[in-house]
Amino acid sequence: MSGLAFLSPGRASAEAVWCSPLARALEGAPPDVGDLSQTGKIEIRGDLPKSVKGGELNRITPNRGLVLCDFGKTVELLEKLSQDYFAVDVTATLAGLSVRGEQLMRRITDLDLDALPAAGAVSHIQALVTRDGDSFALWFGQEYSDYLAEVVIDAWEGLRE
Amino acid sequence: MRLPARPGERLNRDREVTFTYDGNAVRAFEGDTIGSALYASGQRIFSRSFKYHRPRGLLCCSGSCPNCMMTVDGVPNVRVCAEPVRENAVVRPQNVWGSLERDALVVTDKLGGPFTPVGFYYRTMIRPRWAWPLYEKFLRSVAGLGKLDKHGTRANRYDVEHRRARVLVIGGGRAGREAAQQHAVAGMQVVLVDEGFVDPLEGVEVVAPGRALGIWEGGLVPVDAGRVLYRFRAEKIVVATGTIEQPLVFPGNDLVGVMLPDGVRRLIEDWGIKPAEKAVVVTVDEAGREAAASLREAGVEIAGVYDLRRERVREIVARGRGGVLRSVEVDGRKLSCDLLVMSGGRQPAYSLLSQAGARVEYDPGRGVFIPTDIPEGIEAVGSVAGEGLAGAVPAASYNGASGKGKCFVCVCEDVTDKDLKRAIAEGFDSIELAKRYTTVTMGPCQGRLCHVPSIRLYARENEKDEATIGTTTARPPWAPVTLGLLAGRPHEPAQRTAIHHRHKELGAKMMWTGTWRRPHSYGDPEGEAQSVHASVGVIDVSTLGKMIVRGPDSAQFLERLYPNRFGDMKPMRIRYGVLNSDAGRIMDDGTIARLDDETFYVTTTSTGAGAVLEWFEWWNAVWGMDVEIVNVTGGLAAVNVAGPRAREVMRKLTDIDLSNEGLAYLDAREAQIAGVPSLILRIGFVGELGYELHFPSPYGEHVWNEILDAGEEFGIRPFGLEPQRILRLEKMHILVGQDTDSESNVLEANMPWIAKLDKDDFVGKWSLEQVQERGLQDLLVGFEMEDGKVPLEGAQVVLEGTRPIGRITSSRWSPELRKAIGMAWVPAAIAEEGKSFLVTVDGGFERATVRLRPFFDPDGEKLRS
Amino acid sequence: MSFLLDCPNCGPRDVNEFSCAGEVTVRPKESPTLRELTSYIYFRRNVAGVQREWWYHRQGCEVWFQAERDTRTNEVLRTEIVEPSSRAGTPGPEAVATPDAPAV
Repeated sequence: MSGLAFLSPGRASAEAVWCSPLARALEGAPPDVGDLSQTGKIEIRGDLPKSVKGGELNRITPNRGLVLCDFGKTVELLEKLSQDYFAVDVTATLAGLSVRGEQLMRRITDLDLDALPAAGAVSHIQALVTRDGDSFALWFGQEYSDYLAEVVIDAWEGLRE
Repeated sequence: MRLPARPGERLNRDREVTFTYDGNAVRAFEGDTIGSALYASGQRIFSRSFKYHRPRGLLCCSGSCPNCMMTVDGVPNVRVCAEPVRENAVVRPQNVWGSLERDALVVTDKLGGPFTPVGFYYRTMIRPRWAWPLYEKFLRSVAGLGKLDKHGTRANRYDVEHRRARVLVIGGGRAGREAAQQHAVAGMQVVLVDEGFVDPLEGVEVVAPGRALGIWEGGLVPVDAGRVLYRFRAEKIVVATGTIEQPLVFPGNDLVGVMLPDGVRRLIEDWGIKPAEKAVVVTVDEAGREAAASLREAGVEIAGVYDLRRERVREIVARGRGGVLRSVEVDGRKLSCDLLVMSGGRQPAYSLLSQAGARVEYDPGRGVFIPTDIPEGIEAVGSVAGEGLAGAVPAASYNGASGKGKCFVCVCEDVTDKDLKRAIAEGFDSIELAKRYTTVTMGPCQGRLCHVPSIRLYARENEKDEATIGTTTARPPWAPVTLGLLAGRPHEPAQRTAIHHRHKELGAKMMWTGTWRRPHSYGDPEGEAQSVHASVGVIDVSTLGKMIVRGPDSAQFLERLYPNRFGDMKPMRIRYGVLNSDAGRIMDDGTIARLDDETFYVTTTSTGAGAVLEWFEWWNAVWGMDVEIVNVTGGLAAVNVAGPRAREVMRKLTDIDLSNEGLAYLDAREAQIAGVPSLILRIGFVGELGYELHFPSPYGEHVWNEILDAGEEFGIRPFGLEPQRILRLEKMHILVGQDTDSESNVLEANMPWIAKLDKDDFVGKWSLEQVQERGLQDLLVGFEMEDGKVPLEGAQVVLEGTRPIGRITSSRWSPELRKAIGMAWVPAAIAEEGKSFLVTVDGGFERATVRLRPFFDPDGEKLRS
Repeated sequence: MSFLLDCPNCGPRDVNEFSCAGEVTVRPKESPTLRELTSYIYFRRNVAGVQREWWYHRQGCEVWFQAERDTRTNEVLRTEIVEPSSRAGTPGPEAVATPDAPAV
């Protein structure tokens, strides 16, 4: 069974240079906005467990979830999860953007911020939104990095005025 | 003239604010509006009317009418009666040639009558036809109200904020505040919005000024708060929008100095201004009497109060000079005055309720329309629901037998009672038609002041009652709203590959492909195409859609979706697939690589990724097979290294066996490329030896740089979409959506070999069988031009100069072949090698010859080398 | 269009988060006649009333479900994930969609 190794950035050698478009787009951004892209992300399909050791499980449907973990542990966790589930390394597929502040979030999405984590639209694109107190994280297609960074920084500026 | 300070006034007399009006400084207090400050300084004429350019003054002081519209800090059509003063604001009149006091365009009032009757633009300024440009220029310069800077860009910032409310109360008057407090006390989260300023309310979030623009499906109420649009989703909506004071209709009712009771009350109580010296009051309800009392207190002499509940009045005529009120005649008795307070009753502001689905019923006893059948989730409270409305029903007009002067029904659009009568005489006998023909209610007030008067007039003229005439449909927005506010911020979702930054550094000209940004070329498309033929080039194809399809049923799943056969595919082999709809039409194309027994790697077109995923998921939901589909489009960057020296470049980047036997055409192989785990697909869209590398996107730039470095000794050049288009056209490879449209099928699009009709049921099979049975009608063929002229894409194919029979879908000059080549749809009869047809080029016809085999390397030897 | 749609996984969301694939139709069981095929491809009941239709939570959980929506008012009466018509077999509709009268 193909391990789909070509999906895993964690399998690259040390000479390979990691470049996150989101990090570049967030250069000079205010502290309320940050890049979380170098987080391990694994999509699992199957009858989801209650929790995943070594990772944070976010349920999207009863049979589909996104596990977030330390980047360095991704390949190991992927192998472990592959024993019981169909697990795919989506570390490179999704960018992660941290946003601090409820009002800032309300400028970019109409999702119910008291019903997170949730998968839905943030500024017209698909995202998984997680929450930890007043801090939020947006997980979305990395190809939208420049776009979403622009939107969030601009919204932050709008609140300053 | 300012009155002494009084409790409850909105002024803070300790803080002065200065702004300029028409270049002159005006002093005001904090708490003033621009309108109240101007009035206090002696300004009486605030605008000129839309059509007749008649002087207009303050009428309602509540933002309902158009009379006080001026341009403030470059923003046109601001109702200054409601606009708070701010330091250094620049206020200018609008819609005048000259000044408010001396507007040259008033000639339309004096002389224009015969030229500008209702609906004049259907009749006048039509002939002579050659004069239309002159008429148009004139009309454009006098039409409209405020002016915009034609070359302006976003001068103001407008934001959107998404909000939720358990209860949203619209209207901060007595009833609204009570309702808000009741719900708050019951423990609900309550938000109250009001168009004006509202005192704080315990337990309730107040958004004011905040104008609810309408009630949409799903409890959506957008609230205009000036620079922020609050998009509220409310579980329960309480409408407490109150009532709107109605004018009376009589000659001279638009003169400067004729006001509604609330306007007078606000001048006195909110802004401490003595409105006039001598006043007359004509009223159908208590409001007029209250205004009279207020005026007396403020030291204004009351020359007469006519309470229409107690006395019958047949005729009211207001007279003035220069458009300013000087006297009023009531049934012949003349009273000199500089203020006439008219009250025609109060009409519930039901528009929001109507938009939400409520009905509206006429109450003949009170002479107003009351909302009924309020939908679930919405409540109407206070005077909007009809509470506390008592008064006489006003007459349709107080224009006596003699018809003295213009009698306005609609001050926004300058529609007189004569205009409405004329409309009826011309056959526009329903209120909806009357509205569209006369434009009554279509101005800035949107019917607040003229809807009911126009219905009353229609009822009288048609000898019907108001209930029969009915109302016109209420539509959002409830009040005029700036387009900028609705537009919000100027962001457009755009997708960029992980290598985007490098393209910019290399000087690429970027273009849109759907919502992707891609390099059109790096400045030399023909040179870039040539270097792929001569040596080697590299292109970023990360935009391709990419999916992992895995499961015991994966092969069968794909076999049912595609016309191809996949069950017999060996692992690490690739096939080109064309996705069909059940109508047998081409939806998308891409490559399918089998990674193992149960795993396939499917690519789609760049713009089709979302649609293909949806399609796959839908069929899976219907068939319920044991297969999972995972979209990894953004997770993998992809580049195509193509050209005769591509293998040599690849040898410097990876250790695997790259010989033609080790990695043959249509083989797939996993390998490390420059230290990055990759999938190599040996395919060839551009017709030369090529390797498509798919690897994790964070290493996009790294691998790209390594490839350029490794290829430097071979003269490698990056190439963009335009050279790719030339190259693929040389190979007669179709582009779905360019060479095919929503009707194209694989049989007629030059790919009959793809459809394995001997397979079991697959999506589109039945339709393709029908096409075969019917016979192929139009076919997609290649062509080359005899004289090297490149026709436009979309140019017509013509049979011997008679009628069009087909069209060009792709065309380019090929620098390699030194020919003009392309693809076209032509009738089957001429879809044979060597046949010729004519193409429209530059207004004439040029000859083309049909070619059915690829122009470049027809046997695909380069691809397989 | 701003009504809310209750995604069976995610709860009520703005309708613009979804794609709509229209009326639920019935795919012919086996090789249809030309008439049956064009009916399936083109004809829809297009009721002015409660319609059963397919929706996809495109910007959310990416699950297909069916909804019953009153086409006159946009009131959504229910949403539910529907069991696949068969497991690893041919699609199993019961009847073919054929209009009662030919289209004009």
